[in-house]
Parts: sequence; C-alpha cells; structure tokens
Amino acid sequence: MAGPRYTADPPGAMPTVELNGLTALFHVRSGMTHILAAPAPQILALLAEGPTTRETILARLTDRFAVESEGDVLELLEARLSELENAGLVWRS
Amino acid sequence: MSEQDESGQHESGAGASRRYVLALGAAAASTVVTIRPALAQTAGSIVNCEIPVPAPQAAGSYIAPDGSVVAPGTPGAFPPASRPLKGEEVKVMLRGGTPPGIDAESSQAYANYIRRLQAGMSGFTCYASLQMPR
Repeated sequence: MAGPRYTADPPGAMPTVELNGLTALFHVRSGMTHILAAPAPQILALLAEGPTTRETILARLTDRFAVESEGDVLELLEARLSELENAGLVWRS
Repeated sequence: MSEQDESGQHESGAGASRRYVLALGAAAASTVVTIRPALAQTAGSIVNCEIPVPAPQAAGSYIAPDGSVVAPGTPGAFPPASRPLKGEEVKVMLRGGTPPGIDAESSQAYANYIRRLQAGMSGFTCYASLQMPR
C-alpha cells in the first residue's frame, strides 16, 4: 500500500558544509542550522529529486548504498524520516 | 551517531564500482541535531538576564562614579543597587538614560561599572548579549 509522500526543500534552499563526516546544513527558510549524521544527508539528497514514498526512498538508498540496519529497515527509515520531520526539514505531502 | 559508518557520508559517484555502507542506525539513535538560532537566544537573554551591581562577592561595596568598586561609605560613591538590574534597565542605562526607580547619578555609576565587566565576572554574559546587534 502506498504511504505518505515525503518532501524536502530543494538543495538551493539548504546550503551544506561537510564537517569531518558530519554535515552542517543551513535551512534558509527557517533560519535554523542543523548538524546531520548519515543517513540524514543521503535521505535529503534523495528527496531533492522530488517527493516520494518511504518505500521508494528505501529502494533508492539500497540501489546506491549497501544499507545496513539493526532492525526492521522500513521502521528505521521511518525513525530517520521522523527526525527530519521534527527538525522541519522534511514534511509529508 | 558514533554507530554510523562514516563511509556512509560519501555519495557513490555515477557508476561507482564500490558501494558504500550506509547504516540506518538504531531506532533511538539521533542523526539530526538542531542548533537554535543565536539571535533568538540573545533576544531571550536580554529579556531575562540580570546584572548584580556589584558582583555578589563584593556585596555591600559602593560604586564610584567611574564604575570602580570602592569601600562602603566612600565619599562621592553610590550605594550598591538594591536588586540585580534587569537587562532592559541596563540597556537604558548604557544609553545614558535612567530607568524608573533608580537615582540618575547612581544610574551612570552603575552603567560605568557594567561597562567595566569582563569575562568571568558576574553579569558579563548578560552585558555581552546586550552589546550584540539585533
């Protein structure tokens, strides 16, 4: 079944700087700065390609990376997406 | 975050022959830390911060017109502020004004005392935040 589609602002609205394995991101619209660890930047990069479902995000991640998880992959992806939602970087559409 | 494989930070290039490991982390892990805007914090601290005049360790000392802390009863000096001064009051004083309830001459002595505050002294952080442009 198709879940909600997740959306993020385009990369131009969120300039980033790499910091020793972490990513500092400035969200222009909110004026907030966030420090991201993997896989958050990778998820945002995927969402920059357009709104998509959790399942598609996972499919694209596994296409590009050797995805590892310590439990149910979709649940963990959901947890990561929730974090990004709470930070105001991702929303459901 | 320490559980994250750093190699996961690197996007594989187009047609990359090697796939990088991307760990999704544990359910309770945190991969997003939000830094609150410094200006918002400054605005909050201006409203709430207080400066004791003089610092608690010099309680009872008088304040000379130039802002120095002198012995109680020193002629020409002013008794300490009866309560810590609030950020908004200090802003007025630093501009040469006198907040309600404070004697005009004392007010300028207190302002000079506050201008002399240095890092580590009681009230310095409040003073520094008052100096920041908004």
